[in-house]
Amino acid sequence: MNDRQGVPTSRTKPSWFKKAMRWYDNSKLFPTTLLIPVLVFFIVWNVVPTLWMVGLGFYNYSLITGAPEKFIGIKNFLDIAKDDTIWHNFGRTFLWVILTTGIETILGVLLGFLFWGSSKLPGRRLALTMLFTPMLLAPASTGTFFRLIYDPIFGVLNYILTLFGVTPIDFIGNRVWAFFAVMVVDIWMWTPFMILIALAALGSVPKAELEAAEIDRLPWHKRLIYIVLPYGKFILMLGVLLRTIDSFKTMDLIYLMTQGGPGNTTELIAIGLWRKAFEGFTMGWSSALALLLLFTAIAFTSVYLFVLNQNKKQSEGG
Amino acid sequence: MGKKISQALYHALLWLIAVIFFLPVFWIILASFKTKDQLLDVPIHWFFEPTLANYVDLFQRPNIANYLLNSVLISVLAVVIAIVVAFLAAYSFSRFKPGGTDLVMFLLLSVRMVPAAASVIPIFLMYSTLGWKDTMPGMILFYAMFSIPFSLWILKGFVDGVSERFDETGLINGASRFHVVFNVILPQVRPGLIAAFIFNMVFVWNEFLFNYLIGGKHTTMVPVALVTWMFNNSGVDWTFVATMTTVYMIPPILVVYFFQKFLLAGMTFGTVRGEI
Repeated sequence: MNDRQGVPTSRTKPSWFKKAMRWYDNSKLFPTTLLIPVLVFFIVWNVVPTLWMVGLGFYNYSLITGAPEKFIGIKNFLDIAKDDTIWHNFGRTFLWVILTTGIETILGVLLGFLFWGSSKLPGRRLALTMLFTPMLLAPASTGTFFRLIYDPIFGVLNYILTLFGVTPIDFIGNRVWAFFAVMVVDIWMWTPFMILIALAALGSVPKAELEAAEIDRLPWHKRLIYIVLPYGKFILMLGVLLRTIDSFKTMDLIYLMTQGGPGNTTELIAIGLWRKAFEGFTMGWSSALALLLLFTAIAFTSVYLFVLNQNKKQSEGG
Repeated sequence: MGKKISQALYHALLWLIAVIFFLPVFWIILASFKTKDQLLDVPIHWFFEPTLANYVDLFQRPNIANYLLNSVLISVLAVVIAIVVAFLAAYSFSRFKPGGTDLVMFLLLSVRMVPAAASVIPIFLMYSTLGWKDTMPGMILFYAMFSIPFSLWILKGFVDGVSERFDETGLINGASRFHVVFNVILPQVRPGLIAAFIFNMVFVWNEFLFNYLIGGKHTTMVPVALVTWMFNNSGVDWTFVATMTTVYMIPPILVVYFFQKFLLAGMTFGTVRGEI
């Protein structure tokens, strides 16, 4: 692609500057220059801190005692392995990721299909903006407000329940309900994102093929399998990937609603780590756990990208 | 005739869904015009005499203008920097495919996947040591780093979708590479740029944890201010929270309203050109 010998370099008089530019453009330097900024960011803000964290994971270092850090080998990691709370947090996080992402994807796809033919909807732009609003709100606000909505005395939800003769439930103070109460808020917030993704995925299906199917009177399930799915699934998979990532990281929303409580029934791994690091200030131990999370993230991402690439190859091949 | 009725019913259903999703937000907006007693009273007061007292109170708080300005500056600058950096890298990755492209793309995505609490520990220590805490550049560049992966993923898809013939035609006609990158390719990936901008801006705009930990009084953004001011003598100051939330949600809503077309097209990661 870089071979352009024989092409006149310039129509006007070639000055030394133009020659230099031309040489630069054709050399390996050009693609490298474009990458310098991203590499600087990557090294300063990712590689250096990560190495720092790896190092700290082997030390006993607390911000409270102020004592100099002490090398303790892999003791932090052994402590984590023995800590039941951590493993419960991990389990709860995976349950959370699967349930929220799953429900949001299903709802998003269903509603996406419903909104697919909405091009003639009066005020479509406004309607879609309203639909997308939940994800535009600061999680700090949303978390706070849902505390009020769920409140046993002042909350709207409990008021509605009492109309049906149900005794008020303290949703976020109750060990059984808290997890689901928080989950409902997450679903309300992020289903719109999956609707957006579903609309984009459906938009990527070529209209000509759909029209041909219309003329051939292909039944809807066949249209779905042979036309919509092969084209749409790549974008849908990307959407699910992004949602999984963000769901794994959920933090502000839950922290502001329940702080991980009651007990630690809503304590996802991110919140547990936050409590240890910035309420307990045990930096060495927290770094070790953060490192484990980094590996989990890398593992997650590799599996997803593998699936994604398979999908991409299939849709390009087909 | 029957077709018209079913069409109307269908449209009514779509609006109903939009309204259901919007209802809690609408309630917050209404709450910002209520007195505290009206706000906490159930059933909800849908009709009441609106008051602007909450807004007067909000804008009389010390530093509120600074916090709003910080929010605007930090989120816009961080995202613009991220998009420029990501676009250059996307072009390079897409056209030259240097060794390690896949690895960098993969690592950047993994980094984005690490929970905030984990990634903030080393950043917190690094910023404390270097004295970057509570500085505007420190905050902006940090958020820029955070916005790069997603932007790069979207933009690479878009640049991949632009035929290399455009580059070749430009070069043959004597344009420099930079001219090709900025004047030929850039205009064609606009939906991707806008989608990346909106998504990252909404994230940075609403971000709480990092700003809370590595920010300070010079770099406080509104979500942190919201949480610090939330409690008064009698518990949560609900009218304040409602008012602040209402004011703060206006910019992202306007952006989504006016750039919706690009947002939808942008989320297709370059696989679709044209309108959805």
